[in-house]
Amino acid sequence: MNGGGYAFDAPVGTSLAELLRERIGLTGTKVACNEGHCGACTVLVDGEPTLSCITLAHRVAGREVTTIEGLRDHPMVDAFVRADALQCGFCTPGQIVSAVALVEADAHPSSEEIRHRMAGNICRCGTYPKIEEAIRQWRG
Amino acid sequence: MKLLQLSSLRDLDGALPIAGGTEVVPLLRQGLLEADTLADITALVPRGIEGSRIGAGATLAELEVDPQVPAALREACRLAASPQLRNMGTIGGNLLQATRCWYWRLAYPCRLHGGDRCHARDGEHREHAIFANDFCASAHPSDIAAALVALGATLSTTRRELPVRELYRLPSPDDRRTTTLERGEVILELDVPPVDASVYLKAMDRRRWAFPIVGVAAARRGVETTFALAGVAPVPWLLAGSLDDATPLAGTAYKAQIAKALVERARAAVA
Amino acid sequence: MARLIRTEKEVEGRNEEVWIVVDEDALEQWPAGPRDVVGRPQARNDGHARARGEARYTADVHFPGMLHAAVLRSPHARARVKRLDLAPALAAPGVRGTIGPGDAPELGTECEYEGAPVAAVCADSLGEARAALALVDVEWEVLEPLLDPDEAVARGSLIAPPRTHERGDFERGLAEADAVVEATFRTQTVLHNSMETHQSVCRWEGDVLEVYTSTQYVWGVRQEVADALDLPPDKVRVVCDYMGGGFGSKNSPGEYTFVAAELARRTGRPVRCALTRREEHVAAGSRNATTQRYTIGARSDGTLTALGGEFVNAVGADGWVAMTEGPMVMLYDCPNLRSTTYGAKLNLPPTKAFRAPGFVEGTFGLECALDELAAKLDLDPLELRRRNHAHSEPGGDRPYSSKNLVECYRRAEPHWERRHEVRARSTATVKRGVGMASQVWYGGGGPPSYAWIRVGSDARATVVTAMQDVGTGTKTAVAMVAAEELGIPVEHVTVAVGDSLRGPYATLSAGSSTTPSVAPAVRAAAADAKRQIQEMAEQRYGANAGKHSLRELLGVLGNAQILGTGSRGPNPTGMTVLTFGVQVAEVAVDVETGEVTVERIAAVHDVGRVINPLGASSQVEGGIIQGVGHTLSEARLVDPASGDILTTTLDAYKMPTIADVPEIVTELIDIPDTQLTNLGSKGIGEPPIIPVAAAIANAIRDATGADVRALPITREEMLRALAEAKERSREAAAAV
Repeated sequence: MNGGGYAFDAPVGTSLAELLRERIGLTGTKVACNEGHCGACTVLVDGEPTLSCITLAHRVAGREVTTIEGLRDHPMVDAFVRADALQCGFCTPGQIVSAVALVEADAHPSSEEIRHRMAGNICRCGTYPKIEEAIRQWRG
Repeated sequence: MKLLQLSSLRDLDGALPIAGGTEVVPLLRQGLLEADTLADITALVPRGIEGSRIGAGATLAELEVDPQVPAALREACRLAASPQLRNMGTIGGNLLQATRCWYWRLAYPCRLHGGDRCHARDGEHREHAIFANDFCASAHPSDIAAALVALGATLSTTRRELPVRELYRLPSPDDRRTTTLERGEVILELDVPPVDASVYLKAMDRRRWAFPIVGVAAARRGVETTFALAGVAPVPWLLAGSLDDATPLAGTAYKAQIAKALVERARAAVA
Repeated sequence: MARLIRTEKEVEGRNEEVWIVVDEDALEQWPAGPRDVVGRPQARNDGHARARGEARYTADVHFPGMLHAAVLRSPHARARVKRLDLAPALAAPGVRGTIGPGDAPELGTECEYEGAPVAAVCADSLGEARAALALVDVEWEVLEPLLDPDEAVARGSLIAPPRTHERGDFERGLAEADAVVEATFRTQTVLHNSMETHQSVCRWEGDVLEVYTSTQYVWGVRQEVADALDLPPDKVRVVCDYMGGGFGSKNSPGEYTFVAAELARRTGRPVRCALTRREEHVAAGSRNATTQRYTIGARSDGTLTALGGEFVNAVGADGWVAMTEGPMVMLYDCPNLRSTTYGAKLNLPPTKAFRAPGFVEGTFGLECALDELAAKLDLDPLELRRRNHAHSEPGGDRPYSSKNLVECYRRAEPHWERRHEVRARSTATVKRGVGMASQVWYGGGGPPSYAWIRVGSDARATVVTAMQDVGTGTKTAVAMVAAEELGIPVEHVTVAVGDSLRGPYATLSAGSSTTPSVAPAVRAAAADAKRQIQEMAEQRYGANAGKHSLRELLGVLGNAQILGTGSRGPNPTGMTVLTFGVQVAEVAVDVETGEVTVERIAAVHDVGRVINPLGASSQVEGGIIQGVGHTLSEARLVDPASGDILTTTLDAYKMPTIADVPEIVTELIDIPDTQLTNLGSKGIGEPPIIPVAAAIANAIRDATGADVRALPITREEMLRALAEAKERSREAAAAV
């Protein structure tokens, strides 16, 4: 996880989100619905945006997990802050994780592509226009 | 709860199979599914895409971008769910998802739960069925299933081969299930024969990440066009007759209107 | 010398009198226009903490030995607890305590809505607490719920006596009219669904109760918790460093706070009580549904002669009666007006304030009705608004402290002009049109609010005030004000908020009142510090004081500090302080499928001086996007027979995704209100959400001729309105 190895024992049924937040203490990944509907809990598993709240922990055995803590120095973070692409900030870690996966696959996504690939990250504060701008300008 | 490490699907023995888990995990948490043993079948189910053969373990995200996949199926995947759910969810699991009917999901003692009434019929039913809705008015939410039915796809399980259409059944007084899958039977592969043209059109309540109000899949072979609809019946609905045969509830008449418009557009799109 | 005065303060339309202490030296406002810091775009000073996931929200608060609570809630819209035995739950694995009706505020046996709290269990893990809840032995007497607002009014089931307004002679005004519009509009129940659910963590440190809670009002929670638990307020410490959204729903403590406090007291351990997302859909409050019946008359030149309305707010089991009639009463110059507003008491969860309560709903009805009037009179809708512009408060002579609505209309014109080109892009199946709506709202804030500022020998400053930044960027705005006043870089200003222990009192973050209430206090504190620094400089350097930098001047201090204090002064007497704006929406309607796409919204808002244009534009966009949500897709649905809430998840309750966002163009008038405080700034949190629905509905009428009468504008509503319009034109053609 985030470049380092981690071994754990957990009851069957533990979610990856619980593992991260409660067992390991990485609270950057937020849980807002716990049913896979809002995207706040998004982390990368083998580079793919994944909902940690409905991912059973056993499924990441042998795989590479990236959380917001592992992306703290990614240029996308500065891009979000510069563009003011956050307000209350609760959905923001999940947004940044999804955005990073998007630009790693396609460094210059179109507006259409941004909207298609970020549609699984709900923001109640309505930062969407600035999220789009942050993704366009992520290289600074 | 226990997790079984399987080396063969034959050893399932009453355990609940789980792959992507996007439907199973929430249903387990809600108590709508019960299991004391889970079996992760991800490694045991084919997941490649080769010509017309699609492994049941292929994710919607993989299908969304594969040029071998017919347009209707690709588009159905593209417009389904959210990007994260498409990364996680398999096509096999998608076919087996339950209705979004709020009465069912809130565990009302409705017909699908073995009870004696359909709460939606007299209640709030704006998302519900316009066909075959007498016994149960739930709507089938799978875009992918409608596309596969229109495309005339078949699937193979650990026990048999059958047209995708026959995976589904309307619930009846003596049997409330909406699929014909037996206990322990697992979907392995789909075969999607090529067609001359196909399309999937979807009406939903927001531009992305929503279940179909009405989804229309159309596939043309020669001069014959087949239509199958999502969101209009308790099962994916092969349109045999006319949309005028629909039996909407008071609150679902608008769906018939939308369906008519989308069927005509789909017909024109594959012409 | 401190001076004590009594003055009027308004929050969201409710006025109250307050005593305040004022600073003697009034500060002159800065001239209009961008300064060194204020008026220039500034990124959030806590942006990196939030973006990196390093900010600690209540959801992230964790203490060793912390227990998790789960609340037993009524599953019925109306029920009485006949029998309750918590013993089986107490015996369950991991359970450390249970409480029942009467053990904590808000736990009761008479349940007037689904979700009403009855009892609670705490355990080592949340899973164990929830499992134990299922073991509680409870018997409900299920009662017949009252769900229909009109029926409630007929039966006299009301939250409060009906509220009426009257001006002039409505009947005579109606008789003078050349055209009359009678129209009924309905709006739905809308849920806040902040991303962080309502929750508190309570911990007793000796006889001090620490409350970590997701709130919009740190100081208010302190007071309410102290009152409810019969504690001296300074034995209650409330902490909210970061919170994940409120929008009005988190202005007070809740049952989750009291449950956590009581269980913490009994177990001697910290206790978290958090609503699940499903509980958030059921029991966390909402914007109430409304039925609005308008009768509006005007002369043929468009001047209004009569404004009449009857409003029914489906308030629920508890709450307050929002001012749905507000826009009608306050926006236009019309001498004759009559309105009655009913607050229906129903067996539905209580209403909670939601971003411009009452005015969002009422602006939809009023501005749509006015467009229907414009159509009847064959008048341009924007011109109709201009002709009824109120130069002073309607019904009296009270002047506005500032009003630039005419300037808003002027700046809206180029966006309004686009309608010809937009309509021309219509096709056989997709019709395009443009609509507008104007709005009025509060936003002047008021006293009391206080701030302290510490300046050290390194010439860096810390602003201290017990306010909260609910995501609006107020922390950044106050840093900018302090930096501007002190003449130091904004990066050298730290803002310490969110802890009642640190103090001092600051107002709640609602009613668009934080910036206009707290920022002037911060400026006053900074000015006080600056004064002390100047006095110090003159003592040390005499006439040469000006030749030394701030660092040099302060460098001698060592560990000593300059402490400045400031308070928010009174609002201008005898004046009305309001905000104004107009929005222009462009839509595309698929007339066969009923799909409505909002393609563009131009928003022009007059909110006084804009401190941070970057943060302000984010508020505008956020308000508009919430507006698009309640206009097109959001609705809390209820089973009509039982009153059970049916939409309990974020896939069923459909909020906008990034794919649903129109192009948004924002223009802020940015003319300081010269009568208001030392800044001339008003709040911007709420104005942008207000005109959205009406602008969209009016654009739909422009595109298709269809009159939308209900929110949300679902496919059903759109197809219904289109069919009705078709029928109308068929009848009109047949009559020729």
